[in-house]
Amino acid sequence: MAKVHFLTEDLLVEAPLGTSLPDIADASGADITFGCRSGSCGTCRVRVAMGLEHCSSMTAEERDFLSQLGVPSDQRLACQVSVQGDIAVEYLGIEP
Amino acid sequence: MTTLAAHLKERVLLLDGGMGTQILARKPTVDDFGGARLEGCMELLNERRPQWIRDIHGAYFAAGADAVETNTFGCNQVVLGEFGLAHRVEDLNIQAVQLAREVARSFDQAKFVIGSVGPGTKLVTLGHISHGDLYSSYFAQMIGLLKGGADAILIETSQDLGQIKIAVRAAKAAMAELRIERPLWVQVTVETSGTLLLGTEIASVISTVEMLDVDVLGLNCGTGPDEMHAALAVLAETSPFELSCLPNAGLPVNVDGKLVYNLGPEVFAEKVAHAAKEFNLNIVGGCCGTTPDHIRALRSKLGHWSVTHRSPSLDRAATSLYQAVSLRQEPRPLIVGERTNANGSKLFRDLLAKEDYDGLLSIAKEQQREGAHMLDVCVAYVGRNEVRDAEELLKRLATQITLPLMIDSTEVPVIERALQVAPGKCVVNSINFEDGETKALKILSLCREYGAAVVGLTIDEQGMAKTKEHKLAVAQRLVDLVVGEYGFNPSDLIIDPLTFTLGSGDESFRHSAVETLAAISAIKERFHGVLTMLGVSNVSFGLKPAARHVINAMMLYHGVQAGLDLAIFNSSKVIPVARIPEDQRKAAEDLIFDRRVDGYDPLKVVLDLFGSTSAARASEDEVARLSPADRLHRDILDGEKQRILTDVDEALKHHDPLHLINEVLLGAMKVVGDRFGAGEMQLPFVLESAEAMKAAIKRVEPHLPKDASTTKGRAILATVRGDVHDIGKNLVEIILSNNGFEVENLGIKQPVEAILAAHEKHPADAIGMSGLLVKSTVIMRENLLQMAERGLKVPVLLGGAALTRDYVESECQSVYAGPVLYSVDAFEGLKHLNAITSGEPLNRPAASAPGIPAITVLRRGTGVTELSSDGQSSWARRGLAIPEPPFWGVREANHSVEELFQYLDSFVVIRNRWSFTQGQLPDGAFEKILHEKAEPLLAKWKEKLLSESLLKPRALYGYFPVKADGDALKIFDPARSQVIDTLRFPRQKDGRRLCIADFFEPESSGKFDVLPLQLVTLGSEAAENTARLYQANNYADYFYFHGLATELTEAYAELIHGRIRRELGIHGKDAKELRQLFSQGYQGSRYSFGYPACPELEGNGPIHAILGGASIGVEISETWQMVPEYTTSALVAWHPQARYFAV
Repeated sequence: MAKVHFLTEDLLVEAPLGTSLPDIADASGADITFGCRSGSCGTCRVRVAMGLEHCSSMTAEERDFLSQLGVPSDQRLACQVSVQGDIAVEYLGIEP
Repeated sequence: MTTLAAHLKERVLLLDGGMGTQILARKPTVDDFGGARLEGCMELLNERRPQWIRDIHGAYFAAGADAVETNTFGCNQVVLGEFGLAHRVEDLNIQAVQLAREVARSFDQAKFVIGSVGPGTKLVTLGHISHGDLYSSYFAQMIGLLKGGADAILIETSQDLGQIKIAVRAAKAAMAELRIERPLWVQVTVETSGTLLLGTEIASVISTVEMLDVDVLGLNCGTGPDEMHAALAVLAETSPFELSCLPNAGLPVNVDGKLVYNLGPEVFAEKVAHAAKEFNLNIVGGCCGTTPDHIRALRSKLGHWSVTHRSPSLDRAATSLYQAVSLRQEPRPLIVGERTNANGSKLFRDLLAKEDYDGLLSIAKEQQREGAHMLDVCVAYVGRNEVRDAEELLKRLATQITLPLMIDSTEVPVIERALQVAPGKCVVNSINFEDGETKALKILSLCREYGAAVVGLTIDEQGMAKTKEHKLAVAQRLVDLVVGEYGFNPSDLIIDPLTFTLGSGDESFRHSAVETLAAISAIKERFHGVLTMLGVSNVSFGLKPAARHVINAMMLYHGVQAGLDLAIFNSSKVIPVARIPEDQRKAAEDLIFDRRVDGYDPLKVVLDLFGSTSAARASEDEVARLSPADRLHRDILDGEKQRILTDVDEALKHHDPLHLINEVLLGAMKVVGDRFGAGEMQLPFVLESAEAMKAAIKRVEPHLPKDASTTKGRAILATVRGDVHDIGKNLVEIILSNNGFEVENLGIKQPVEAILAAHEKHPADAIGMSGLLVKSTVIMRENLLQMAERGLKVPVLLGGAALTRDYVESECQSVYAGPVLYSVDAFEGLKHLNAITSGEPLNRPAASAPGIPAITVLRRGTGVTELSSDGQSSWARRGLAIPEPPFWGVREANHSVEELFQYLDSFVVIRNRWSFTQGQLPDGAFEKILHEKAEPLLAKWKEKLLSESLLKPRALYGYFPVKADGDALKIFDPARSQVIDTLRFPRQKDGRRLCIADFFEPESSGKFDVLPLQLVTLGSEAAENTARLYQANNYADYFYFHGLATELTEAYAELIHGRIRRELGIHGKDAKELRQLFSQGYQGSRYSFGYPACPELEGNGPIHAILGGASIGVEISETWQMVPEYTTSALVAWHPQARYFAV
């Protein structure tokens, strides 16, 4: 099992290894908005505060999308991530 | 008296807490600063209010601090210059140190004074200030601090590697000038993002600062103690310096416009003491928000801890502003991109001559994408100013490329300027002993001063070393000088034993590769830790490109076998050795290892093998040699819809037509499907194959016997009731019908009755239902219920964007007795249909085990946001200034197709709409598809759409007075006399409990807010064109046009939204880069019905009515979808907190 900590609302969820982050977010009601769910709109961009190495690796599309966006290397598109271990994520689509 | 160094050896040193907050607590007035012009100049208070500063230092010492920082954080020329006090830098620093010293002396114990040096107000790496100006600014401060008698210099709150390098150099120069040696401390500020402000990762900071030879490297400011753990862990494991940590009193919270730090003394002390133990810190203290009470609490937690020594180990790396790249890559070699080189690349040279920096940058970015680990940069070009070119290019590369740089020059002034501009730890390429050692010594001194690794070439006074022995002798000399005399770490010396071309046939070089490879082995063996590098492609200089790729690949292979660490190489041209045909490989190896014997010269073999035939010609010849059936197979795979016609004619002479269809053509389509499934072929190529298939079948059909049946089965396809989207269903038709199935395509908006009538009339082997809308997934399930009631068991395939496998396999399957099969794409549908018609077992899931939910919530920290008395989420801020629109009511906008293209998200068009995805293709191969297929295709379509009048963009937009009422928006007429319509929105059930209405002023405030509405369309001709292309079996064009038109509609919506922001005057936050703009890089949000924040389509009705959509030819369907197809509407919220959310 992997623990996922959604930092924005301090929500801690447990899920089997390999579960996709959108599934975890949907099932637990985490505050992450998904747009296209196919890695080309950027709505679900998150910062992985902990456990970047526990996220599934990027597809070339996600890598190219994020590099064109010019964001730091700890950011991922949540819809493209499945969890391979404990992670903590902060959703970036909220304007405080 | 204990010295600072002695203290640090034995015990953890406790530094003081915040200075600024202590001063502000005394509420300084204009008078205290000495006039309005000087207000805010904290450093001036050393002179004007010395007793305040004495009291603050005294309070910290009394609280138990071993040392205090001087009040000189901004005491440099840049900051004081803003107050007209640049000339006072030196003496204000002296006064500040002396004040602190005076207080320190009044204590019995040993107390120390640390000279504080802040980052100033300008970021040198971003070009806010010149290198020289920042250096002089710091130099003056360092002189003052040292003259005043500071016990150490602390360069703190550093955010920019470039600034650190300059400050360290200024401190060292000041020490040299005054002949004083003092410890030099550096502290950086890691943001909550985990990097410095400019994005620098901590590993890059460590490897960069490590070269600068300081005494302490640590962290201060930015965050509280908890957030520093990740960076402290890396520092503790790898930094060779003593480690300091001065956190803020937690992360700041904004309370009534003021930053407040919430960690109280006890909690703060607990956390810092914990970190001190865990990471063996040498120095602790506090930064913003910390007070003498925090320090007192920390002292009592720490007691007088003795220090525990760490055993750090630092991997040798080169660094950029962003990252550290290990010089020892696993697998070897580290690839140094070679195309940013005026000597090696004509394109680079031409762009440099034109000073086309964007073009030059794109060459660099391309190499980054292709997998280079570092970039070799050379701007030496006859007739140009190399120093200036280096500065102009490097300052751009420094911020826009994430890779470390290799400075390729032998000119001392060029190297120095380059090292000033590039913020990280570079590699200087290169030194040699061609004219003795003088120049090498100068370059090495620069590498030491600026912190760079160095490449040494095996060239000496006798010239370029050609034999292994000569190369080794020069290598020995390089090691003695660089490692021995200059004290470089051996792995910061990279020896290049030179590569010469084997292509000239020159007898004196025929054995040179053997010598070079032997030298690499010998260097690795003899000089432990020293690295090696080769400019690999030199080995084949002068030969044909095809030959070069093979010879270079083999040279690289054998270099790595010999122990090569770095290779200057064109990474896009790396051919895996396993893919090189045996004869080519043997010839290349024989050439490299000079295996000539009587009558055999590998160079001649290479010239013959690659001599005159180009790659393309060879492939044409290859096709011609194939049998007619194999040619057909090839035509299908290549999507050759013209050539396949003649090949069909030819094949019909030799083969039975049924065999051609069933075996040859369908066999080829199966390979297409397999390749698509394996991620090796993109959808557009699949469609081209399908077009070729269609053409071939048409050509074969007249030759078929009258009673022959070629169909494998029959399927009925439909987009379900209420859904107008047909592209997905049509793609399925294309794939099924070109893989041997008869398909009846009923079209869009099909009620279940129509589907069943078709099935009754002519029963099918399977029924496929499609739909894009979320609502369609519900309708599919309802349809299945009705089918179940009629006792049907025909297999049903479901597909569509909003469906999930889980929903189909549980919710949908549970209501229907026959198989219900999820099809993620057309090929999965084909797989199911093949199984159904051949009687093979269906790939259906085992019923999932009931009971334990796999996903469990362990803790829900933040509760549900409360609703205000207006029934709105209290999370949304209220009472913001409402922007004023330039008019009320509706206007029509007028834009050309060309203007739409300016807002086109080409990434989404190519990667998503057109499905050019990389799948399992290597980077280089996919890059080629993008450059040679996708991008030219987009350009071609653009040209076509600009010259033909297929698109007639029209748009309406306007502003209406509005009041929020709970979950609804009451829209008023422009005269504000009556409510003309009310839009209702769903609200989130938990979390922030948002609803779109929350972003507008509630009725209770009495104020009117502004509601911008917009409606854009490409016109009916576009939709008709889509249908025409499909009817004509132009599958690929149909797919391209549909995808591009969909995105151009989106582009138009983006354009109008941009205009609305400008007209409202809220465009200040608009991102400059389109990519960022498309990711909501602006204030507020644009919401369209059917999307997550308002999933129901009904709202399209009121928007259409209010704007008068009929005037631009837009109608609303009975299911609230807009017709024609390429049309979209939206409402805009200007509220800064309005972002996308899902209900």
